[in-house]
Amino acid sequence: MNKSELIKKLAEKKELHVDEAAVIVNAFVDSIKDSLVSGDRVEIRGFGSFKVKDYQGYTGRNPKTGSLVDVPAKRLPFFRPGKELKDYLNK
Amino acid sequence: MSSNGNGKTLTKADIVDRIYEKIDMNRAEIKAHVETLLDLMKHSIKKDHNLLISGFGKFEAYDKKARKGRNPQTSETITLTPRKVVVFRLSRKFRSELNDQQ
Repeated sequence: MNKSELIKKLAEKKELHVDEAAVIVNAFVDSIKDSLVSGDRVEIRGFGSFKVKDYQGYTGRNPKTGSLVDVPAKRLPFFRPGKELKDYLNK
Repeated sequence: MSSNGNGKTLTKADIVDRIYEKIDMNRAEIKAHVETLLDLMKHSIKKDHNLLISGFGKFEAYDKKARKGRNPQTSETITLTPRKVVVFRLSRKFRSELNDQQ
């Protein structure tokens, strides 16, 4: 399923206009993204939590050619599924 | 910079507030819609093994086979049952948004 299907499903199920469902889904996703971009954690009970990890840059090597490459610092988000989601998937 | 900088946490209530700013609906209705949305997301991850949210990333469920494990405390061998796990892979767009900020 993708985002537009998710919007359509939400609209059908809750008898919303597709535009309203789109506002809800987009604001939901944007609020999570904005928090992670500012370095905050996100915790959604019953679903899971996200946090961003910082990685320092380093000088690595291309294993094929042996040449030095600069790997820049990066930030990556991590998702930890909540207990309810894990149980639901395995039930 | 530590991984959780200022230590703030976004919760479901904060998400409801953010949606409330954008739509003419009361908080209780929005809360109910968010719960339904989360149920739809969970259902999709389980049923399709895949939920793609453009500009954000995708949730993928995959099967882990049974394997032998060991309780490190008692070192007794145990069999870990096969189970489904879910991972989040971020989209290229979100990845660059996270890293442009630095």
